Amino acid sequence: MPDAIMQSSEAAAQRITRAPLVTNNRSMAWITNHVASVTEKKAPVWWWVLFAISSALAVCSVLCIGYLISTGVGVWGLNHPVGWAWDITNFVFWIGIGHAGTLISAILFLTRQKWRTSINRAAEAMTLFAVVCAGIFPLIHVGRIWMVWFLAPVPNSNAIWQNFRSPLLWDVFAVSIYFTVSILFWYTGLVPDLATLRDRATTKVRKFIYGIAALGWRGGNRQWRHYEMAYLILAGLSTPLVLSVHSVVSFDFATSVIPGWHTTIFPPYFVAGAIFGGFAMVLTIMLPARAIFGLHDLITDDHVDKMCKIIVLTGSIVGYAYAMEFFIAWYSGNPYERFVFVHNRLAAPFMSWFSWVPGIGPQMAALGANPAPYWWAYWSMIFCNVVAPQLFWSRYFRRHAIWVFIICNFVNAGMWFERFVIIVTSLHRDFLPSSWGMFHPTWVDIWTFTGTFGIFLTLFLVFIRWLPMICIFEVKAVLPEADPHHGHEGHDEPHREPAALKGAAH
Amino acid sequence: MKRVLPHPTREERPTLWRSLDEFAGTPEFEAALEREFPQGAAEWHGGQISRRNFLQLMGGSMALAGIGLTGCRRPEAYLVPFTQGVEWTIPGKFLYYATSQPRRNGAMPLVATTSDGRPTKLEGNPLHPISNGSTDAFAQASVLDLYDPNRSRAILAEGKQSDAAALAAKLDEIRAVAEANGGEGLAFLVERVDSPTRDRLLAQLRQEYPNLLWAEYEPLGSSEYDAAVAACFGTGVEVTPDFSAADKVLAVDSDFLNASFSGLDQVRSFSARRRISEPGQPMNRLYVAETHYTPTGGMADHRLRIKPSEAGLLLRALGQQIASLTGDGGLSSVVNAFPEGQLSADPQWIDECAKDLAASRGKSIVVVGQQQPAAVQALGFAINNALGAPGQTLRGARTERAQASSIAELAAAMEAGRVKNLFIVGGNPVYNAPADLRFGDLLSGVPVSVRLGMYEDETSAASKWHVPQAHYLESWSDARSSDGTICAVQPMILPLWGGVNELEILNRLAGNAEPIGPQLVRDTFAKVADGGDLEAKWTEFLRQGFLGGTAWPEAAPAFNAGGATSLAAAYRPAPSNGIEFSFTPSSTLDDGRYANNGWLQETPDFATKVTWDNAALVSPATAKSLGLSTGDMVEMSANGRKIEAAALVAPGHADDAVSIALGYGRVNISHVTDNVGFDAYPLRTTQCMAFATEAAVKRTGAAHKFAETQHHQNMEGRDLVREATTERYAQDPTFARTMGMDGHIPPNISLFTHPKLDSPQQWGMTVDLSTCTGCNACVVACQAENNVPIVGKDQVSRGRNMAWIRMDRYFAGDESDPEMLPQAIMCQHCENAPCETVCPVNATVHSEDGLNLMAYNRCIGTRYCANNCPWKVRRFNFFDYNQRPLDKLYFGPLAKKGMAESVQMSKNPNVTVRMRGVMEKCTYCIQRIEEAKITQSVQAGPTDKSKVPFPEVKSACQQACPSESIVFGNINDPKSRVARLKKEPRNYEMLKYLNVSPRTTYLARIKNPNMAMPGADKVGWANGHPHHGGQATHGAGSNGNNGHDAHGAETHGSPAAHAKEAPSH
Repeated sequence: MPDAIMQSSEAAAQRITRAPLVTNNRSMAWITNHVASVTEKKAPVWWWVLFAISSALAVCSVLCIGYLISTGVGVWGLNHPVGWAWDITNFVFWIGIGHAGTLISAILFLTRQKWRTSINRAAEAMTLFAVVCAGIFPLIHVGRIWMVWFLAPVPNSNAIWQNFRSPLLWDVFAVSIYFTVSILFWYTGLVPDLATLRDRATTKVRKFIYGIAALGWRGGNRQWRHYEMAYLILAGLSTPLVLSVHSVVSFDFATSVIPGWHTTIFPPYFVAGAIFGGFAMVLTIMLPARAIFGLHDLITDDHVDKMCKIIVLTGSIVGYAYAMEFFIAWYSGNPYERFVFVHNRLAAPFMSWFSWVPGIGPQMAALGANPAPYWWAYWSMIFCNVVAPQLFWSRYFRRHAIWVFIICNFVNAGMWFERFVIIVTSLHRDFLPSSWGMFHPTWVDIWTFTGTFGIFLTLFLVFIRWLPMICIFEVKAVLPEADPHHGHEGHDEPHREPAALKGAAH
Repeated sequence: MKRVLPHPTREERPTLWRSLDEFAGTPEFEAALEREFPQGAAEWHGGQISRRNFLQLMGGSMALAGIGLTGCRRPEAYLVPFTQGVEWTIPGKFLYYATSQPRRNGAMPLVATTSDGRPTKLEGNPLHPISNGSTDAFAQASVLDLYDPNRSRAILAEGKQSDAAALAAKLDEIRAVAEANGGEGLAFLVERVDSPTRDRLLAQLRQEYPNLLWAEYEPLGSSEYDAAVAACFGTGVEVTPDFSAADKVLAVDSDFLNASFSGLDQVRSFSARRRISEPGQPMNRLYVAETHYTPTGGMADHRLRIKPSEAGLLLRALGQQIASLTGDGGLSSVVNAFPEGQLSADPQWIDECAKDLAASRGKSIVVVGQQQPAAVQALGFAINNALGAPGQTLRGARTERAQASSIAELAAAMEAGRVKNLFIVGGNPVYNAPADLRFGDLLSGVPVSVRLGMYEDETSAASKWHVPQAHYLESWSDARSSDGTICAVQPMILPLWGGVNELEILNRLAGNAEPIGPQLVRDTFAKVADGGDLEAKWTEFLRQGFLGGTAWPEAAPAFNAGGATSLAAAYRPAPSNGIEFSFTPSSTLDDGRYANNGWLQETPDFATKVTWDNAALVSPATAKSLGLSTGDMVEMSANGRKIEAAALVAPGHADDAVSIALGYGRVNISHVTDNVGFDAYPLRTTQCMAFATEAAVKRTGAAHKFAETQHHQNMEGRDLVREATTERYAQDPTFARTMGMDGHIPPNISLFTHPKLDSPQQWGMTVDLSTCTGCNACVVACQAENNVPIVGKDQVSRGRNMAWIRMDRYFAGDESDPEMLPQAIMCQHCENAPCETVCPVNATVHSEDGLNLMAYNRCIGTRYCANNCPWKVRRFNFFDYNQRPLDKLYFGPLAKKGMAESVQMSKNPNVTVRMRGVMEKCTYCIQRIEEAKITQSVQAGPTDKSKVPFPEVKSACQQACPSESIVFGNINDPKSRVARLKKEPRNYEMLKYLNVSPRTTYLARIKNPNMAMPGADKVGWANGHPHHGGQATHGAGSNGNNGHDAHGAETHGSPAAHAKEAPSH
């Protein structure tokens, strides 16, 4: 009997053992070498190719912005019903992408999710670069950029202050605080690794620059103690920001009177959407990087699997929000609200295929005959954000890098469409049918947006070239040999022998 | 002209000197002293007006202004720059002068607002009996023509620049020849203007040169009407409808509610009978039969779509009924003489209409479009006579008008080679004369042709001489208004580009002394205003703008059935088979004379909402049968000629007919005019100026892009324009306040603390939808008052037009025969303004007197306010529309910067000209409010301000409105008109559920249908029938408060209602 129990428990223990966070028994030295060497070796050809392409795109954006500022906002396709279109769509899109980085580095840190260690550095960098891209749009979308200092609380002779009732002003503060805290958090986490790079430096220039950047890090006990405290405080500061920034961004719409914007569900819905889109973007960037640098031992399939689970969770929250918006529009009895959801978004030509359905057939036929002008945007959003991620319920798709990459790109596109749908389809046909119109992007709209991908990628390429893209010291800390309690019971670190079993067997 | 005041000479070297040059007394320094400004500083580079010139103009107009005020100043004196204050002027204060705009249908009495000698705004002359202070869109826009940089500036002889001396020599030469042969070969082609001075000079010319030929041509003139009046009521008589006495009105192809084509008084008197303040009050009833939607058709209680040639047949059928109802023999004889034809109209419509008109004998009237053939007009007069209209609803007057030949007679003389010296004064006959006259070819055969015109246009090109014409704001003249009252035409400014007045040319040809503008008019005045102190009368004439008591004497019109019968019998209508063309006046360019006026080009047409274009309008059914959709190019052929135009599907248009507005399709004039729209004049012949039968339309396959300001025509079941019948209004007086959602919205609360509205004046506005015809006068008035820029066709098509008042227009009901509902939308000045809460920089805030203010200086252009505006009335400057050429907006800094200098002069100095990147919108004419505040403060002095009455303030749109539909004022004052209107049960807020408390509210539209008419159950129910009651019984006992009928709104939001969307979007 005891033998039998022993055997079955052992088998169970085999099954429930956590997969190691670093595979193939990599040593600490291997990790340091592997990560640091990326910044030390000559840049490979592919890096230069990518850098050339992305910086060329970035230049496109810069040129378009120059044209915009010198000539007028009219170079974009905006018009009188549609006062915001791609500008604010792009802003919300980019700011949303940033959220995954902060979530991974701050919330997962506070909740002691150790698997975050190998991805947090790059995800945080992505946050910063996404916020840089995001910040461009509200800045340049104004008519008189040379007057944007009016947004700052500068005392002036006219005694005109900002309007603190305006969500746009809250945005200014929310985004700038978010950027500041994010950059501090990221930099604090970088310091020990910068010291590593400094110590490994072979040239004077590298030694000097990394030396300055490492802020005199020596790895002493006091320094570590201060570091841990600072990092914890910054994580604590960042955590509410994950929730607040996108909530504030959603207030731009939620506090307005426009049907389709005036919705109380927006803050949680936007935050969930941001995390959803952010994780997709992290994977989109990380999977190629992992392949190129051979980081499969550090960014394992388990990591990808976990992130996919978060995507399917947040994607479902977003899908629920879409459904709830419809319910509320119907339940409120407000005809303007109903019109926006049904006639500006939902009604699509394919609905006439369902005219045979008993009960709702005639309605479907009518909707199909008068599709919403932007039905394609709405249904692209639904497909990309709600339908495509459902594949992640299957372990196969979560662990198949190519599939993950494809689905994540659907999500990226879907999240852009989501913002486009919210902004443009609400504005283009609101209260007075006399003022209804359409938005058509111009080439300046298109290239300004495309160019921000160039800015994003350029910054990312510079980052992986000069800074350790994986947090070396934190990854080493999750190795079994870094565990001072190695071999002790009751500890949930992965072990080569089933420690948990021992506890269970007692 | 300029008197140079020399510096006093010095005897010896100065003891104090400014430079070594001065000490040495060099000639250069002497010159520099004389120059007043450094070398080159006085020249204004790049333009035709130098700064010095400009100051001269200002000074000159001041000198003339003196005449306007006191009449005792010399008409023209030494013109001195503004280095010293000019009498009467207070910098920053406007001066107002009475003048008038000569028109073919009578002068429009005006008051010109001038600032530093520049007229910037025109208002109606409230003292004049026909005006009541209102104007129309054309008068409002005409001030822009004055400053049009494309106006001709030079005298041209054979296309080469010439000068005034050469012209004078030519005129003297012509005069010498005419004196010798009694004016043989001397001909004039003029526009129709009732100017006593011109008539006096003409009489003198006729006396001196008895053989001269004096022809008058107006492309949209009333020659057919005049012929009919002469036949029916005798010569020297004029008849005008009097709507103040009319209970029932039938308009056949007549747009009498468009003040531009009828008169301000007609619109006003009709509206007065339309405006009912309390339920149960009587109101007039309007029947309209027309081809395309006009403002008149939009006001109709019952509207019948007819082909243009059917107007006569409709009247014939109607006349038959009325003759049998009234037993009027005269009418029967005219009806029987009138040729029969195929009429597609519903006979029940005609029968019931006839019964209704006959039932109100003496209180009903039929008005017929003045372009319709004389026989049709005569038929109309016969019906009016049978209805007892003469002396009641049809007023007569004895007139004295100079006799003139027609353009056809002139053309015949030209063809026969009998015209040697031809003067074409104004007009543009080469462009707009009937096509069969081939006027252009004939003109090139005339040995000497002198053309006086504002622009170097088609006629100038074909004439030997071109002389720039002075704008009416630059000339001395006089003109009779439609009632015959003599009005002054005073210059506000010296001719900007050396324009010449027609009177000066006639005067010189008559051999009189050197023309002195005011003296010419004064000589006429002396004859008219006999007796008394002439000087005082003249002063009063100029001050008041008109001479009272000079209206045509009333004379009851005596209908001559015989004359009408013979006219009807002689009528030989061209056979009509299939498609017909209707040639309509352009709602924005008239006959094309305003083609270079950007304000009007950018004003959307009433019905189509198309800017910068005309269109071949077709009904949805005809479009379907011809396979046309909006934007398709078609070839229109009639009378053996063809043109190409773009089709536009127009709901409410008559089937099997195409309407096209005249006045478009010019080439080689200016960048504003060129390639705008399609020229329909080539299809028009002397046979019938109003329409063409035997026409054909063919799709060419090409496409055209229209710039419309409204793309969606359906209200989508939203209660925006609220409408009811008189019956429903009587039964449910609060229908307008309880319609749709408004019946059951809970009281709202606001999260914000709102600014205190504690000023004694609280501004508000009402727009009466019962009387608003959608005539656009307010739209252009606002543009003129508030320096609203134009943006050009490309920008309009991108949805970036800047107009602060949007004349929304919805169609309701059946797609083929819908009701048209205009609604003027401007900033509603919400007390809880959604725009204010979202502006991050506080650029839009609220004033204590209830205005939603816009601080351009503070605006950074986030456009958040515009997004959050439920009315979408906020306008954003996407480009530097004031500073960059409209065709080079996308060139940004690479395009030339700066506004034409003359256009700068046209701006209202009290209103900021906005730069790019800022938001703008209706301000309730805050500059006028502030001026009133200042006036009050000045009057009060150190005493308590509240003791001094606040001066009356009228917004520009209110002032212009001919139907008095827009009322603005202090809602805090219970005696104010606006406060009283807001208490009316018809008063409602749009989108009330938003709890924004707009200060602009609307008075619901009341319709007065005749329930016996076919389709009467649909009239007045644009918002749909209430749910309960089941069938189309009106106001089925609903008290409106049970919230039940409010569910109507939900059914309209249904997909089925959506499917009824009008096709032309």
